[in-house]
Amino acid sequence: MAGPTTGAVSATRRAQARLGLALVAPAVVLVVTFFLFPLGSAVYYSLTSWDGAPGSAPFVGLANYTEMLGDAEMWHALSNNVVWVVIGAVAPLVIGLVLAVLLWSGARGAVLYRLLYFFPRVLPGVVIGIVWGWIYDPINGWLNRMLEAVGLGALTRGWLGDANVALYAVLFAAIWATFGFVVVIFLAALQNVDIELVDAARLDGANAVQRLWHVILPQIAPVFLMVTTLTLVGGISVFDIVFIMTGGGPGNATEVLGIYSFETAFQLNRVGYGTTLALLITVLSVPFVVIINRLQRRLALNETGA
Amino acid sequence: MAAPVTEPTPSTPALPEAIGRTDRKRRRPLAVRLAKHLVLLAFVVLCLFPILLIVSTAFKSAEDVTVDPFGLFTSFSVENFVDAWTEGQFGSYLWNSALLSVPTTICTVLLSTAAGYAFARCPFPGRQVVFYLIVVGLLVPPFTIMIPLYYQLRQMALLDTLWGVQLVLVSGTLAFGTFFMRSFFQELPTELEQAARVDGCSEWSVFTRVMLPLVRAGMAALGVFTFLENWNNFLVPLLYLPSGEYRPLTTGLFVFASGRTTDVGPLAAVALITVLPVMAVFVVAQRQVVRGFIAGAVKG
Repeated sequence: MAGPTTGAVSATRRAQARLGLALVAPAVVLVVTFFLFPLGSAVYYSLTSWDGAPGSAPFVGLANYTEMLGDAEMWHALSNNVVWVVIGAVAPLVIGLVLAVLLWSGARGAVLYRLLYFFPRVLPGVVIGIVWGWIYDPINGWLNRMLEAVGLGALTRGWLGDANVALYAVLFAAIWATFGFVVVIFLAALQNVDIELVDAARLDGANAVQRLWHVILPQIAPVFLMVTTLTLVGGISVFDIVFIMTGGGPGNATEVLGIYSFETAFQLNRVGYGTTLALLITVLSVPFVVIINRLQRRLALNETGA
Repeated sequence: MAAPVTEPTPSTPALPEAIGRTDRKRRRPLAVRLAKHLVLLAFVVLCLFPILLIVSTAFKSAEDVTVDPFGLFTSFSVENFVDAWTEGQFGSYLWNSALLSVPTTICTVLLSTAAGYAFARCPFPGRQVVFYLIVVGLLVPPFTIMIPLYYQLRQMALLDTLWGVQLVLVSGTLAFGTFFMRSFFQELPTELEQAARVDGCSEWSVFTRVMLPLVRAGMAALGVFTFLENWNNFLVPLLYLPSGEYRPLTTGLFVFASGRTTDVGPLAAVALITVLPVMAVFVVAQRQVVRGFIAGAVKG
């Protein structure tokens, strides 16, 4: 009796293993060819001074890395990334939290609000860049028109052409595109907040701000952390919207690491150094992504979200 | 508040909640509710204004565009669409966008479902290692490999080809897809597959007939999310279709916008065409979209 059963079990095991290998094979082949292999190449290129021309790549050891540390333009780009990370994380967090709490505490039409706020997140970056470029237009743009209408004509300028404000103008467009996403995540998290505690605090005389700070925030702290790390990673690896709206200009006022890396590799043909800069983005963001993954698994937001 | 803790009868905890809720509703005055909706509505206007601007400019007449390109709804005409279609190559850009997003989305959903099932349900030697090899793509920003991948595609004669870009797009969405689908298969009870085996199902039909129908919701969410990612993708076609052949709407718009500054009308028309499928998908499948984006947050 034992023989055939264990035989059947091991036959099932073998069949499962065969099917499993067959099912993962296509995905593995693609990921190895178009992700892992280029990832290995990235590390290799960063040790060479290759110019992209077919042929040999001169090995230079860690020269690209030492050059990077002393490269003023890299530090300038990185400082722009830091601005992007700080403002780009704080603003959506504050706006997102306020709006989510307003919706959560029972506003009529909450579902519709949530949907409309989320909408910009699904738009292509090119369209976001183009339409905000129109809003910032020096002559016909709505921003300048509205400033003039309220008597602040002195503040009007070509927003994307002014080196002092261009970075913030682009950043504002990016925040516009993401805050609704933060609202949705916070709302999902708020569904799990114990409403009895909030009501108890109210009965004990806590005002709205105290309730938010002492009762609600501690309960959604993990999501808070997750959204923060998320926006941090986005800020480190930002490329599309800056490339589309200003290309890093005027001058290099809005240059971030992604743009600098792209220009170095494809316009100056310094593939080795450009790849080194791209790897810097990876090294800076991987720790944050690891944290996100941990939190994501713990929260199982997949289920509460939709 | 001490009573429910020492004496947890089922009715006691429910009572304060009920009181609190009615209490809150009664106490909130009209002015507060009004102020709340004003804040909420202000953000709705902020969200929708840029879209209104696109629609308004897209439907302007040619003279109106030159005089007042961004005044809202000052004239109506469809000539911008006609111009974009006949003078620009936007008909072919639209077709290329479809070619770059539809087949790739189907591939990603099928391959991710297959791999997700294997990682959740079919133990094989080295499974854990292979899984990590695939999902390491979730840790690394796609930008990291963009430069080496350019030269690799050139070497493989895949640069500037439809095939090459499609393969890159599928590969780029597989890590998340596999991770996402695996979580759906992990939730299914083992009794199901065992019962099917007892009934004489082969492993293949356990997968296709028993398990697959149960993760349709996951496949739909992944499909919608992946389609939007591919349709909106900018960097991949920008880098790997340098000659402009097979150029999709996103990079087409970019080239158009950065080339000449005067043709705002047709530009708006094409921007609207680019956004329309996205809006349609969003309206029809909002649940799936939101679900996909929340899960997709792991990608960073």
